[in-house]
Amino acid sequence: MINKLLERLSFDKTIPIAPLIIFRIIFGALMLFGVSRFMLNGWVEQLYIEPSHFFGYLGFEWVKPLKGNLMYLPFFLMILSALGIIFGFLYRYSAALFFICFTYIELLDKSNYLNHYYFVSLMSFLMILVPANALFSIDSYLNPSIRRQETKQWHIGIVKFQLAIVYIFAGIAKLNSDWLFEAQPLKIWLQAHHNIPLVGGLLQEEWVAYTFSWFGCVYDLFIVFFLLSTRLRPFAYFFVVAFHILTWYLFPIGVFPWVMIFSTLIFFSSDLHTRILNRLQRLFPKKKELSLVFAPKNSTNRVLKYFLILYIIIQVIVPFRYILYPGDLFWNEEGFRFSWRVMLMHKEGYATFYLYDKKTGRESEIDNSKFLTQTQEDQMATQPDMILQYAQILKEHFDGKTLKYGDYIFPIEDPEIHAEIYVSLNGRPSQLFVAKKHDLTEFTYDLRHRDWIEPFKK
Amino acid sequence: MIAILMVSMAVSCKKPGEDTIDFNKENLLENIANNQIAPAINDFAEKVSSLQSDYTTFQANPTTDNFETVRNSWKLAYVSWQTVKIFDFGPMRDYALKGSIGTFPTDTTKVLSNIASGSYTLGTAANIDAVGLSSLDFLLYRNDALTFFTSDNNYMQYGLDVIQKMNQEISAVQGQWETYKSTFITSTGTETTSAFSLLVNEFNRDYELAKNAKLGIPIGKQSLEIQMPEYIEARYSGISLDLLKGNLEALRNLYTGGSGVGFDDYLEHLDRGALNSTIRTNFNTIISLIDGFSGTLEQEMQTNVSGLNELYVELQGQVVNLKTDMTSAFGILITYQDNDGD
Repeated sequence: MINKLLERLSFDKTIPIAPLIIFRIIFGALMLFGVSRFMLNGWVEQLYIEPSHFFGYLGFEWVKPLKGNLMYLPFFLMILSALGIIFGFLYRYSAALFFICFTYIELLDKSNYLNHYYFVSLMSFLMILVPANALFSIDSYLNPSIRRQETKQWHIGIVKFQLAIVYIFAGIAKLNSDWLFEAQPLKIWLQAHHNIPLVGGLLQEEWVAYTFSWFGCVYDLFIVFFLLSTRLRPFAYFFVVAFHILTWYLFPIGVFPWVMIFSTLIFFSSDLHTRILNRLQRLFPKKKELSLVFAPKNSTNRVLKYFLILYIIIQVIVPFRYILYPGDLFWNEEGFRFSWRVMLMHKEGYATFYLYDKKTGRESEIDNSKFLTQTQEDQMATQPDMILQYAQILKEHFDGKTLKYGDYIFPIEDPEIHAEIYVSLNGRPSQLFVAKKHDLTEFTYDLRHRDWIEPFKK
Repeated sequence: MIAILMVSMAVSCKKPGEDTIDFNKENLLENIANNQIAPAINDFAEKVSSLQSDYTTFQANPTTDNFETVRNSWKLAYVSWQTVKIFDFGPMRDYALKGSIGTFPTDTTKVLSNIASGSYTLGTAANIDAVGLSSLDFLLYRNDALTFFTSDNNYMQYGLDVIQKMNQEISAVQGQWETYKSTFITSTGTETTSAFSLLVNEFNRDYELAKNAKLGIPIGKQSLEIQMPEYIEARYSGISLDLLKGNLEALRNLYTGGSGVGFDDYLEHLDRGALNSTIRTNFNTIISLIDGFSGTLEQEMQTNVSGLNELYVELQGQVVNLKTDMTSAFGILITYQDNDGD
């Protein structure tokens, strides 16, 4: 049966390679831009050098930042490898290096988690698997035997699949009552733009927020199917451009709109890509005759096939894992990340942490700014797993310390850490998120349901 | 669909006057800039300038009366500062005024060693807690203060240097606010660098600073309930509670916009009237609680711990209303750094 499935997926069917080649250049260029922008904005310093504590991912807490300015090293390597990807130089190594550096950075601190960073990690990983250097590249110039005019269907299909996953799951995620029936969080976000000339007044109209919400949902759910249709593609792409430019204008989402605008070009026909590629090639002098080899000879490795199927299954299942948890997904955030829940909620919290000395029964309020950056504190205040991690950070800091205040000396041992946290979700009045009664150091950080979070009242 | 939207927007825009009753951030910024920030800066500049002239009079003729005049103009300047310090952006931020004028508690050892050596650069980062209004609290109100001034030229000179430094800084900021004001008023965006975001963020930050530094830390909230009188603001003069009150009144005034457009109007516009009335009530409760204290903060810490705790709980509860509810209703990010959101 599996063999039949593999046949059906026609892994080894070949198609023109041009879309993949162009995608390689676009992806490399976007990464070069994104990484340079990140460095020029001073974010390496702010996000990876200045913080004294980091919020690792479950199972990846061993991933640690490099000391001081050494943190710039992975960013320089990303610049180099992005250039390698653009020019197709030592391509597979470049793609692998980029993937490793980028993923390393992302694993350091979940305060900086963004769906589009996850997307870049996945996409750069997929780029390692495909021969995107088989034309118009330094590799193929130096070694003409790797040149191909055609490539296996899955090499391009997997990229389209990944883009489809992002859109469709972003659409599914919008099928919730806040988004559809309250127009939240867009109602909050759009009204904030009421000073934009001409359209500003409209942006604070309720019906506009509803229109944006419903349109965004329909767009995300169906845009991929329109892009796949030859007839509707030009219209669909117009919407892609318009939609993402609008989001870029209205929201602080950095390079993501540009990544989507340019990445979705891969849905265009191979004819168009071939024409563009030919034109590009004419810009450079031809040194050697094109190889006569048109199609890849060997069939796709069996292990790789199984791996790809597994990858696809995981991508489809992971966003649904939240079903395993009771309670409200937005409130508890159990199974929230890695699920393409983009621009989905406006959550703000205020967290007061307390150190409790068992021996004397005295407590101290913690000044969060002594331990966390502003971004970390903001993220932590609304995300339960980070709240637990922060409680551990505090416990480790104070355990065994001797605190001296005036003439009073307190040797702290095995302290309790409590927190009182209020959170406002999607424009609702704030409500208690974590009650002060819990000693947070008693809870282990794992994937089980966190029943210490106060229940959400709609 | 976007096309339809665009068309409908164009059509709607042809009906002028329809949206004029809507709230407009620009009006808020204009009101705050013209009726609060600029007057606050001018008032403080004036107070510091009279402090300086009173001080030079005192220097020439160090009588008890002249000394009292200096002390009084220092008090007025310190209370006036409670409004200015909220607006820590634009020229204020460029000159790092909040730190150089408002840092407390003052490091008395550092002040005295500066005076003893007679050679110092007051503008260095190391001297941040040896200058500003708080250093004058120590110089003017320590025991036998007048004797120190009259018996030690260095001492007298140090006070003047501190005042002159403040005077120069606030004059510079005053000059630049005039040009910055128009940028400020039109910066209505949602990005973290926009004036509106800065205003809301600094409002929240200053509120929390008042809660923690002016009250929480001295009464032991961050030190296992051990009181820390050495952290009391203006401990020597004992005007700590006046300053706390001045600060909260300034914050309340910014919130209501005085008689003009303020955060409260924005909340009403967003149908968050209940939140607005909670915030107003809390501000009033807080200020009347402060009014209820008859002694200095240090005296109250000895005799009325429960009263101070009650005030602290009120202050703490209001943070959630301001920082979480109000800020999220406005749809601005409370983060102090730009980032790729998602």
